[in-house]
Order: sequence, then C-alpha cells, then structure tokens
Amino acid sequence: MGRFSEKDVLLDITDLQIEGYSDETWVPIIKGVDLKLHRGEVLGLIGESGAGKSTIGAAAMGYARDGTRISGGSIEFDGMELTTASEGERRALRGSRIAYVAQSAAASFNPAHKIIDQHTEAPVHYRIQKRMEAQEDAKELYERLRLPNPQEIGFRYPHQVSGGQLQRAMTAMAMSCRPDLIIFDEPTTALDVTTQIEVLAAIRDIVDQFNTAAIYITHDLAVVAQMADTIKVLLKGEEVEQATTDRMLTDPQEDYTKSLWAVRSFKRPQKARPTDGTKPIVSVRGVDASYTGGDKVLDDVSFDIYPGMTVAVVGESGSGKSTTARVITGLLPPSKGEVLFDGEPLPPRYEDRSRDQLRQAQMIYQMADTALNPKVRIREIIGRPAQFYSGLKGSALKQRVDELLDLIELEPSQYYNRYPPELSGGQKQRIGIARALAAEPDFIICDEVTSALDQLVAEGILKLLDRLQNELGLAYMFITHDLATVRSIADEVVVMQNGRVVEQGPKEQMFTPPHHPYTDLLLSSVPEMDPNWLTTLLEERGVDNIGEAAGETKDGSEKASSA
Amino acid sequence: MSVFVIGYYSVLIAASCLAVYLERRRVFMLLFSLTLISFVAGILGGVSALRTITILVAVFALAAGVSYAFKEFLIQISRPGLARELRTAPLTAAFGMFVIFTYAIAGIFAPWIAPHGQAEVISTSFAPPDANMLLGADQLGRDVFSRIVYGARNTVGLALAATVLAFVMGALAGLLAAVKGGWFDQFMGRFADVIMSVPSLIFALLMLSIFGTSLLVIVVVVAVIYSPRVFRLTRAVAGNVVVMDYIEAAKLRGEGDWYLIRREILPNSTAPLVAEFGLEFCFVFLLIAGLSFLGLGIQPPTADWGSMVRENATLISFGDITPLIPAAAIALLTVAVNFVVDWMLFRSTGLKG
Repeated sequence: MGRFSEKDVLLDITDLQIEGYSDETWVPIIKGVDLKLHRGEVLGLIGESGAGKSTIGAAAMGYARDGTRISGGSIEFDGMELTTASEGERRALRGSRIAYVAQSAAASFNPAHKIIDQHTEAPVHYRIQKRMEAQEDAKELYERLRLPNPQEIGFRYPHQVSGGQLQRAMTAMAMSCRPDLIIFDEPTTALDVTTQIEVLAAIRDIVDQFNTAAIYITHDLAVVAQMADTIKVLLKGEEVEQATTDRMLTDPQEDYTKSLWAVRSFKRPQKARPTDGTKPIVSVRGVDASYTGGDKVLDDVSFDIYPGMTVAVVGESGSGKSTTARVITGLLPPSKGEVLFDGEPLPPRYEDRSRDQLRQAQMIYQMADTALNPKVRIREIIGRPAQFYSGLKGSALKQRVDELLDLIELEPSQYYNRYPPELSGGQKQRIGIARALAAEPDFIICDEVTSALDQLVAEGILKLLDRLQNELGLAYMFITHDLATVRSIADEVVVMQNGRVVEQGPKEQMFTPPHHPYTDLLLSSVPEMDPNWLTTLLEERGVDNIGEAAGETKDGSEKASSA
Repeated sequence: MSVFVIGYYSVLIAASCLAVYLERRRVFMLLFSLTLISFVAGILGGVSALRTITILVAVFALAAGVSYAFKEFLIQISRPGLARELRTAPLTAAFGMFVIFTYAIAGIFAPWIAPHGQAEVISTSFAPPDANMLLGADQLGRDVFSRIVYGARNTVGLALAATVLAFVMGALAGLLAAVKGGWFDQFMGRFADVIMSVPSLIFALLMLSIFGTSLLVIVVVVAVIYSPRVFRLTRAVAGNVVVMDYIEAAKLRGEGDWYLIRREILPNSTAPLVAEFGLEFCFVFLLIAGLSFLGLGIQPPTADWGSMVRENATLISFGDITPLIPAAAIALLTVAVNFVVDWMLFRSTGLKG
C-alpha cells in the first residue's frame, strides 16, 4: 500500500454489520467487514454470489436495500459518518460525490429518455453545470471513453446503442459530476468477451485520468486483476483476506482464495472422433434459418456431433449459437437444410416429432430460475419426464427420482419435496440436468449452463457433466461464449460469427495457431490472470482496435452497428 | 359539566400521557388529536356529540378487537405454512375475513337463524322494531331482519354462482388463448372486445327481457358479461408465463395443452386470479343488486337486498333507516371483500400503497 498515504483515506468502513429480514427474523448478511479506500485507489471486491459484495457496495453509499438494515459499525466517507447522517444528507452525496454503475446498463437506463438527457440530469440537479455545459461535458466524456461518434451518440435512445456502448455511456454518466468514488457492480458480467475489453479499457482509463477512487465488484478474478490496485476476498459476509493485486495473485494466503484461483484448472482429456465408421448422433446439414420476416440468422450451418463427445459452439451474442439449438430442437424450423439424428432426418417442427425423437434430444437452460417451474415440487419436475416417456408409476417412479437425485449428487430425502426457489443457483442447475437425464437421452444441448453461476459452482457443474458423459455415454452440444469452459470440457469446437460457421475442428487444433482471424480475436479477448494482460493487449492491438471495432476490421466484412 | 364529560376528557388525556410515557408516538398523536377534536365537537355539538364520538370509537375499537382475535384464531387453527401467510395479514384483512365468515354463516344457516320465514307476513306495514322484530317490518309487514338473513343466502349465493361461472369461462378461454396463440387468440380477443363494448347494464336488461328472469338466466347473463374481463387478465398473466423456459421444456417433452395449462401455467397464475375473483365478485354482486333494484333480478317474494332497498325506498323521505339496512349489508360485504383482496394483491404483486 505504498502508493497511498494515511491522510488520503476517502472511505473508511469499520466493523460493518448488515442484517436482512427473512422468515420474521433479522439474520446477519455482513458480519463485521472493514474496508479502507484511498483517493485514486481501485479496490476489487470478489466472492461468490451471496457473499455480500453488492450489499457492501451499496452500503458504501450509505444505502441499505429494501429488507436490509445497517445494524452496526461505521461508514465514514471523507470525514462524514454515513450511518448517522440524515437521508437528505446522504442523498446529496449520491450522484454528485459517489456514483454507481450497475450490472445491466440496458436495464438501468430509462428507455423513454435520450442517453444525454439522463446524463445531464445529475449535474443540472446539483447545479454544478448548466444544461448546455453538461451536454458539452458529456460529449467530451464520450470521446474520452472512445464511444463511436461522440457528438451524436448521446442523442440516441438506449435501445439504439449496443450493450458495450451503453455500459460505457453509463460510466460516463457516473463521471458527470466528477465524483470522488464510483462503485462498479459487475459492469461487464453481462457482456461478451470481445465487448468486455473495450468497457474494461475505458473504465480503467477514465478512473485513472480523473484519479477517482473505485470499488469494483465482480466474481471474475481475471477481470479484477486488470482493474484493481487492491483485492478483497469475501465469503458469506466475512472478509477472507485482502492484499495488493500482485501479492494476491502470486501468493494467496487462505485456502479459500487458493481454491478460487485454482478453479480454472479443471481440464479433461480430449476425445477423438470414433474411426470405426460410427454415424454422428446429430448432424446439422447446410441449415439456413430466419425468424418471421427477418434476415437470415443462420447461413449454411453444418457440423456433426458424434456419440459420447462434447462439441462446443462458441461465438458472441447474436452469432446464431442459440438459434442453432432452436433448429435442432425443432422450435424454429429451418428454411433450408436438415437435421439428421442417428442418420435419420428429423421432422423440422417439434410438433411433428414422435415422442421417442423428442426424448432423444434434451436441453439444459442457461437460467435455471426460468427453466424450472417455481410452483412445482422437485419430485415432479424430475419425475414427470420419467413418467411421461417410460410410464413409471408409484414406487418405481420414486425409485427413479431418487436414483437421478443421487446421480446429480443431491441427497434424495432432503430435496424430494422441495420447490425450486428454495434451492441455490448451482442446485437448481443440477435439477435442470436431472430433468434432462430423466428422459434417458443420448444427446443433450447445454445452453450457457454455467454462465450464470460462480466459478466454483460452475466448475462443480462441469465436473458433474463430464462424469455423466463418461457413465452414460452422452453427447453434448455445449453453447457458450466462455472460452475457459471450452478449454476445460470440449472435444471439438465450432466457432460461429454472424450466423456462419467460421471455423471448426478438434479443440487442440483450435487453441493452437494459426487461427481464423475471428477465432484469434475471441481467444485473445479472454482475460488472463496476469495483471498486465490488458495493458499488453492494448499495446498490441492499439486502443482503437478493440471490441466491436476489432470485430469489424478482422472480419473484413460490413458489420452493421446496432443503431 | 356532567360526570360523563369530565370522565371523557380525563380518560383521553390519561391515555395520551400513557402513550407518551410508553413512547408510542402514533398512538399518542391519534389520542391527542381526538382530544383536540373533541374540544371543538363538544363546544359545537354539546354532550350528545361527545357521546356519538364515544360510541363511534367504541364500535371501531370493538371491530379492531374482533379482527385481532379472529386473526389469532385463524392462525391457531391453520397449517404452519398458511399460518405464516396469515401472520402478514393486516387488521383490515382480518376484519374482512371476519365479515365474510359471518355472512357465510348467515347464508348457510338462514332457516335456523331467521326467526320468521322470508315471505311470512307477521305484522302491519312499516311496523317499528320491537322485541319480536329486531329491525321492524317492511311495506307488507314482513320481518326485515329475517329477510336480511335470507337475502345473504339468495343474493350472495347468486353472485357467487355467477362469478364462479364467469371465472371458469373466462379463465379457460384466456389460458387456451395464451397457449394456442395465433388466430384462436385473435378471435377470442376480438370476441371479448365485442362483449365489453356493450354497456353491461343495458346488455343485462336486454338479455333478461328476452329470456325472462329465471335464476339460471340471471347467472348465465351476468357470467357472460363479466367473463371477458377475466379472459383478458388471465391471458395477460398466462402470456407472461408461457414464454418461460420451463414451458418450452414441457412443450419439447411433447406435453399436450391441457397438461401445460393445468400443471405448468395455472399454479403460476393463481395469485392474481384469486385477487381478481374477489374484485369481480363485488362488481357482480353490485350488478345483481342493481338488477333487483330495477325489478329484473331475483323476483319477489324471495328476499334480496337489492329489491329490499327499492321496496322500502319511500321510507327514506320519512327519515327511517330501514331501507338503508340492506344497503349497508351490501356495502359492508363489498368493503370486506376488498380488504381481503387488497391484502392478497399486496402479497401476489408486492403492490404498495
């Protein structure tokens, strides 16, 4: 902490305790956390979901969310005690001296107002600038954040701007009053790797330029390594350890921290295609598809999936990964081409498929929250496919459900009668897997199954999927934008861009150069655990050649901007 | 200064001081503002005004006490899961449940509770209340109290039947429209629009004068009038559910529409539907009472609150409260149902305010 002297302390939280109200009692969420932030310092807060990262972030503004209360400790912001300050005093700080950047910019902007009008709201409200001055300032900030067309972009509505640009516009908005402290709550979690870089670079740059202190909340270690001077690791509302970024990465002290660092190490041996003439279990042949009246979303997509193998389909959002899955399941009939299952063509619409054809191909969804009916008990969620396809009843059905729960490593007696909302994210995803298994399929589509989960939990799911593949000989189509996941679980990789397959082949071949330029872009955009990774990358590519801009140049073709 | 006035003010001021001492700020503000209001009311209206205030406060306190006790009673007799829900109920909801409970008892056990038959003439026209007739007699000399009790059975029973039918038709159509989509959805939607575009009372009058005023016709006509509203709500609620991944999963499994509706969609839309049921019940109830008032509803001599208001309406000019009693019965039930519905809406949607 040599860089920061004691008198520059901006935010001093001591022994913070926050309680949440549930089941008619107050239960502690944050159990005595200390935090010290100096001017110009960036502190990374990491931990699994439920560790209390966001709660601490909100508390730094003197804010307790609905159903929570600050029950003890002190929060001192620039010499002002926030826990005892009146609501009016605290409100005066927010927006002007402490700003907040939320996870989903798309959900946080008001869709009914132009971006620049939302930007100028705070400076005008606090009488820092006149409206026109604030607009000029906004344009300057947009330029500094390297938003394309900074003079014009503010006059668009939020839906006319892409996700990465919106997140940068939100950062600009947070900067509008030149606050002393900005709280970034997972600002890049919802973005693709290629877009993430431009946001990261812009945030780091602007925080540096204005010497703003920041709290950067994330569960992605590689990201925090790029951004933070200091890292604090949280677990269940308690601090595990805190150290400077370099020390934290090279020499973590606690076991929990070490386990977090080790997460990305899971890797299973790569399997090769069977050579004895086995037919592929699923074969996508020259498929074109489009949604009603729209442009082609898929353009001549072909790939094969062999029994017992995992094929990862990667690409950024909008590249047609999920649409391919919809074509295979029959939700979206293709306009050209066909899908073969075990050599037999499948009817294009799922309504025309036989029960057995439906049984063979199952799906695991990204959001376990919406994939499981919250009002149905676990026993029925898992039991229904077994009952539906195999006609099991009574004790045979119960036995089958128990068997499946055992298979996904959940204790049957404990979970049999529960409802999905009572489970954690990882447990829900396991139930989703069990539901797919209950149909006894040969082939499962995994649509971003780990992207909504914390790294430790996600690794558990990946290991489980791998074990099930070995035991049951399943074939997986693994849709993901996370290349770390691809590296750990895939046998073959299909890279998609703008609805086309740009490259496919065995994993090792894909991860060794030479790549297709787009694959190269994807690969080099994945944050690494090296704190200098982003700096090096920016030097290599040049600041104007990252994110969407990079996509355009490397692609060589015209990529329509989201406007 | 009578003893009553001295006692009145000393009780209020002592209670206010006690509230301050116990640091119950809201209770104190309530009691002391009542004291200040009483000063003004006492000067303007004399002792009788103070007596009225005392009676009103006592009635209010009694209602609150009954609600509180009834809520505790319900919590004690219900399952643990339900008991936890009930604990969140405000006092108003408990009051509503108590009133509904009372009406249900009156309706079910009407022949045993009512001292006389609903069509039985036992006295002269408009006889004043006495020990035999608690609320006096109506224009034909029938016991008003007995008729109120029977009315609970007839009017409420009819409204309940009509609402249930409206819900069965509307909800089923709404769920089917949401699941099927396409032209079926469009057709049902436009059909509902057509029914809703005709003013309900005129539509009811028209239908009743064509088909006659038998009970069955009333129930069906009222149900048809109200089912489009239920249809629209159900379709909107179910529309939010059918886009969920679990519905897609069930469809891909090959499940039929009936399974989707029954097992996947309905459990996720019951809360707003139940709340809507309460609300619609009030409207249906008022429509039926209104029809009776116009003479097209339940036919005499069957006791019915709406027609009781009409038949005794002339008495209002004489300052008699008899016609207001059935009206009050209607109002009380409507308010009670709304109290309960408010609580349910609050629970299901987190609606504030």
